[in-house]
Amino acid sequence: MIESAFVAGLVRVLFVCIIITAVYIISARNLLSIVSVYAVQSLTLVVIALLLYLLEGAPVLIAIAAITFASKVLIIPYFIATIQEKIRIKRDIQFHFLSPTSSLFVSMGLMLLVYIVLERVMAATGDRDNLFFFGAVLGISLMLMGMMVTFSRKRALTKILGFLSMENGVLLFGLFVTELPFIIEFLIVIDLIILVLLTTILTVGLDSTLEDYHKRLHRFHLWEDEVEVR
Amino acid sequence: MIQELFIAALLFFGAGFVLPLAVRSDRRIVRTASYACTILASVLLGIPAIAVLLGSGTVIFPAYAPAGLFSIAFVIDRLAAFFLLLIAVVSACVALYAIEYSEHLDGGSRRNLLCGCTSLFILAMVLVVASANTLSFFFFWELMAAASFFLVMYEYDQPATSRAGIFYFIMTHLSTVFVMLGIILLWLGSGSFALDHLADTPSYLATGSFLALFTGFAIKSGIIPFHKWLPYAHPASPSPISALMSAVMLKVAVYGLLRFLLDVFSPELWWGALILVFGTASAVLGVIYALKEHDLKAMLAYSSIENIGIIFMGIGLYIVLGTAGLPFLATIALLGALFHSLNHALFKSLLFLTAGSVIHATHTRDIEHMGGLVHRMPKTGALFCTGALAIAALPPLNGFASELLLFIAFFESVTVVEPLVKVFLFLCLALFALTSALSAACFVKAFGSVFLGMPRSPESAGAHEVPALMLAGPGILAAACVVLGLFAFQVLTIAGFTIPVMPDIFLIGLLLLMMLVLTYAVAFFASPRTSRVSGTWGCGTHFQEAGTEYSGHGFSEPLDIIFSPLYRTRIRNERTFFDEHGAIFKSGTAEIRLLRVFEEYLYLPVARQFYRIAGAVAKIQNNCLDTYMLYVFVTILTLLVFLGWSA
Repeated sequence: MIESAFVAGLVRVLFVCIIITAVYIISARNLLSIVSVYAVQSLTLVVIALLLYLLEGAPVLIAIAAITFASKVLIIPYFIATIQEKIRIKRDIQFHFLSPTSSLFVSMGLMLLVYIVLERVMAATGDRDNLFFFGAVLGISLMLMGMMVTFSRKRALTKILGFLSMENGVLLFGLFVTELPFIIEFLIVIDLIILVLLTTILTVGLDSTLEDYHKRLHRFHLWEDEVEVR
Repeated sequence: MIQELFIAALLFFGAGFVLPLAVRSDRRIVRTASYACTILASVLLGIPAIAVLLGSGTVIFPAYAPAGLFSIAFVIDRLAAFFLLLIAVVSACVALYAIEYSEHLDGGSRRNLLCGCTSLFILAMVLVVASANTLSFFFFWELMAAASFFLVMYEYDQPATSRAGIFYFIMTHLSTVFVMLGIILLWLGSGSFALDHLADTPSYLATGSFLALFTGFAIKSGIIPFHKWLPYAHPASPSPISALMSAVMLKVAVYGLLRFLLDVFSPELWWGALILVFGTASAVLGVIYALKEHDLKAMLAYSSIENIGIIFMGIGLYIVLGTAGLPFLATIALLGALFHSLNHALFKSLLFLTAGSVIHATHTRDIEHMGGLVHRMPKTGALFCTGALAIAALPPLNGFASELLLFIAFFESVTVVEPLVKVFLFLCLALFALTSALSAACFVKAFGSVFLGMPRSPESAGAHEVPALMLAGPGILAAACVVLGLFAFQVLTIAGFTIPVMPDIFLIGLLLLMMLVLTYAVAFFASPRTSRVSGTWGCGTHFQEAGTEYSGHGFSEPLDIIFSPLYRTRIRNERTFFDEHGAIFKSGTAEIRLLRVFEEYLYLPVARQFYRIAGAVAKIQNNCLDTYMLYVFVTILTLLVFLGWSA
């Protein structure tokens, strides 16, 4: 049996990994590498879930790890990577409101803010395990950072990755704080939605901006209320 | 019994609303049935109203409370009964008139909507008056506003109508906002929605509530400077609707003010002075603007502003005298205000209905294009003349009786109150007297231009008398005007008010009749027996054309000159020249028009400010997904900060 202090240390290291991946998703311009980093981030989550299983022994954690591994490490990155080979644009250099550098500064501020807020909230509810506290801080920060990606990038692909990374944040928060069985179902639903979203967008719109996407749907006669002009 | 009759009346009004909307076919029988329901409902409503008014006691209905504090409740006391009677009489006559009138309108099955909404509109007004708490008052008040908006928008495809409709919509909702504010302040003060006397409420809440309610009711009743919707909405809507709105809806606002002043507040002297000032300003300015107006229905609308001003003067005087410790004179003033409300409802609906007949016959609202109608539409002419005499407050008609009550209250009080109040009341009295005189001049002009002289347009020359049904409704109203005038003293005595200083107008009427007979007898026997034929107002010439006759403009010209500081004109003059020195004229446009003071200096600047704020707010919604995500992000951050700060 592995010592629990060692496992806790490992989880801490993985926390750092998650921060690094999140920072990379915010700042990177190369689309292909963002997808890979997302896969790495999801894998980190899988490992964290497994380590938590060693600590707590709840079998549901295994299930989470399995679902996450299948969907977020394998299927979704594979989908996106396949399509990306077929389209020409490889870089995302259009930004809204925040440039990558300023995004980094804002996310640093975010983490600090979440830390302070949670510390005050937790102090009110009594002492909690240090590891779980950090997990919660990181989960919320990751969620907010993902959200920042969704509104600061213009490409649809990067927006989706932002959303996926947001959802990773929810999962992380769920792993450490919330009741688990409920969250699993919730996650599966969200994952399904994401899959549907992806498969529809993948066909035409992945390399476009959202504004272009509508026009494209019209051009390819994929929009239902379109009146056919002959 | 009273309860059952009242509920039956409500059901018939409901039937009048539902029937034409359920049966969508464009058939006369459907509309006639709907109007018949309205007439029947009005008659059923009139009976309990008269019973309560004559002293059968207040009727309280069981409240319907779906959710605790929010209850709908009705009560009919004497004040409510008075206004219910007013609604019933006018509604019945208007519906009788509208049976024939609506068949001559354009719009196909849209006419079904017109008669359905008319029923709903009357129903809403009845329920406002019968409401026993502020919540149901407010609910039905809003229903009344919505129903009347649809009625104003009947000819929505006309640009003038849609403009008037939007103007009305904004103003009526501004009124609703103020009424709501007043009710909320009342609730803060007393903690209940009941229309009970405020006992130990902080005075700032009571004052604030009064000011909000007064503003709301003033907007709805068209008190200057909130009056601008009246001269737009009345000409735009069908004549029966103008009649209902002017005669009844404005009175519902008066009722609202009275109900709150009498039952809820303990008014202070300055409240009365405020109401008196606004009332006087409306009375004087209303009639001055009416004099200048040449659109028949807009003129009647301005005259409504004048009469509402007079009613507000009565209410203001009631409070001033009440706080000065003169309860008897205060009662006379209040009685004058109430009696004038009823009388104005009668003669103004009579005038609007007959004006509708005239417009129907001549297809124009401009009185300069009418003339000579007394020979072509003699019965309508006689009815209009009765209305005009009544509104000009000539004895022995009802307008005289109610204005006399107010004059009595003014005259008797100026001698007894303290000096400062005396000066103030005297000033109001002088302006009131001026109003009465100007109003007579205004209706001499209206009747003269429309009915006398020679026809000034081919349509006017070819006009015909309207069908009998369109004469019956106004006929009843005219008869009521005469009866209420002649027997004003007796009516007030039956209602339980004996006013010793008020003369018996029936005797005055007899005296006037005798003088008339005497004058004609003298003229008949003393005049030479040779006759000379010439056109009316033709200065004795033999050949006369309509264009050379005395016109409405000509008649009001001297008054225009006297009040020229008020009728400010705006002159616009743009010219272009061929050379740079401005010597050789190329082209140009020029315009002289009446300055719309309130519109240009009050309404438009306020509207522009709102437009600017709205533009700034609209920028928040920029159709960009990223921006909306940013809002969500910022909201979450704010919540986080709030969570940390409050923990």
